Amino acid sequence: MSGLVADVLVVVGLATMTLGVYGIVRFPDVYTQLHASGKAAFLGVSLLLAAAAIGGGAAIVSRVILAVVLLALTTPVAAHAIAQAAHHRREPMRTPGAVDESATTPGAGAPPVKPPR
Amino acid sequence: MRNDLVFFAGIAWLAVLLAVTIAAIGRARTSAERLVALDTAVLVLIGLLGLVAAESRRPYALDAAMVLALLSFVATLAAARYLGDRRPFDQPDEDGPR
Repeated sequence: MSGLVADVLVVVGLATMTLGVYGIVRFPDVYTQLHASGKAAFLGVSLLLAAAAIGGGAAIVSRVILAVVLLALTTPVAAHAIAQAAHHRREPMRTPGAVDESATTPGAGAPPVKPPR
Repeated sequence: MRNDLVFFAGIAWLAVLLAVTIAAIGRARTSAERLVALDTAVLVLIGLLGLVAAESRRPYALDAAMVLALLSFVATLAAARYLGDRRPFDQPDEDGPR
């Protein structure tokens, strides 16, 4: 029974992971690629690690819990840092119909790029 | 008991996904896209290590997975700060706090 649960978790995690990687390859700009990387790939890896924890000993379970908590804390921060850097560098939004609201709102746009020293 | 075939197939499929993300690192158009692809490649590698640990019933691969998660976070953060500000950390004595 627990083997069946682990198998289902592996299959669902692989499907989610595949969707995330497909989004990395197919999405047109960084901002949309971050959706695939930050949500689909993270969820897929969490499901795969949960499948690894089922049926494992205490050593595996504790490491899986630590790794998932670590990933849940760090993935959103990393994605936000990448998005901030991309917006700072004025990367184009190639998605059709995309509107950069922070560029049209006065006072809320990205600060001017400082010249390298 | 656990059906090992599913885990073997998962390891093989994750290896394919890892190859795809590495190819995505190569064909990224901008540095930020390259950083996103690298981040995803690390996530795929963590999943792969988890499946290897479950398949071999030894927890040591998960140690590598945890260290990889931490290292990739610090590396991504430093690279993103460098991309945005041209330097990884603020120097408050020159610019003041942001």
